[in-house]
Amino acid sequence: MDIIQVVGFALVATVLVLILKEQVPMMAFLLSLFAGIVIFLFLIGKISDVIDMLEQLADRSKVNMVFFQTVLKIIGIAYIAEFGAQVVRDAGQEAIASKIELAGKVLIIVLAIPIISVIVETIMKLMPV
Amino acid sequence: MLKWIGASLILLAGTAFGFLQASRYERRPKELRHLGNALLTLETEIVYGVSPLPEAMSRIASSVPKPVSLLFADASARMRETAAERTAADSWSEAIHAVWPRLSLADSEKASLLALAPTLGLTDRDDQAKHLRLAAAQLRTEEETAREEQRRYEKMWKSLGALSAALVVILMY
Amino acid sequence: MNEDVTSIFQIAAVGIIVAMIHTVLKQMGKEDYASWVTLIGFIVVLFMVIRKLDQLFQEIKTIFLFQ
Repeated sequence: MDIIQVVGFALVATVLVLILKEQVPMMAFLLSLFAGIVIFLFLIGKISDVIDMLEQLADRSKVNMVFFQTVLKIIGIAYIAEFGAQVVRDAGQEAIASKIELAGKVLIIVLAIPIISVIVETIMKLMPV
Repeated sequence: MLKWIGASLILLAGTAFGFLQASRYERRPKELRHLGNALLTLETEIVYGVSPLPEAMSRIASSVPKPVSLLFADASARMRETAAERTAADSWSEAIHAVWPRLSLADSEKASLLALAPTLGLTDRDDQAKHLRLAAAQLRTEEETAREEQRRYEKMWKSLGALSAALVVILMY
Repeated sequence: MNEDVTSIFQIAAVGIIVAMIHTVLKQMGKEDYASWVTLIGFIVVLFMVIRKLDQLFQEIKTIFLFQ
């Protein structure tokens, strides 16, 4: 069972991080970062399957592919930003963490602006002016 | 399987190296003490005894534990080699150079022992006695510092050898 | 998964051993060597982590973004 693998791995990593924390805090941070990356990598495989299914759905429902790809990119940005912000926050650098989150939000808006403008134009075309 | 054998070999080698360095620090004060005693015994033999130098050296060699005894035994053997026609001073210097790798002593001690060479068997009794006592006194002060060093470094080298070997093994896993 | 578990234990072991060597060297009085050893251990582990991070970002690029 995959969840057992993940949780077991995470517990082992946590114990090791606690042991290292008082001796070499630098290594403890690197260790927790490494563990997080490994778990994320393990999950990426599963996420990829889900995304393939969603792509097939979108394909069949004749939605413009651009929308689907944009939404996918936004989800990716959200995942990465959250991962980075949490790791940095664990290391104690709250300021850098909030900057990462801010960057995530800005980049998502940048990606979403074309879609929003398309929606607004469509609505304006529908409304009698 | 081969990996385990290699890893244990590296661990063994590293630990052995650490122990080797540690044993050098452990043996040094002892050898300094033996050397000091031997030189004082030599002084007594020269001042009060009537036997020639080679026999005196053999007697000292049998009364002092190894490896310091090797020095005197070697010098005595060289002096007895009548075929080579060496002086006592040369025998002493050659013996020092020959036996030195077996001893855990430093270059400063080597220098002070070599300084004895010109006086051996050549100058009169009191002069030799004075030189020997001077050398023994120098060795005694050296012994104090050697004990200090031993305290500090012996355990350290043991752990250092084992730990570095473990580190190499882990990195190469 | 298995090689990742090995890597985690590798990093932890390197960390602990480097800490011990640091303490031993500091007690011997050679504190500069101690700092060097700790720094080198940190850099080695950093390389391992950065390799994994690169792997992660490549996967993410492939799956999410196709950039």
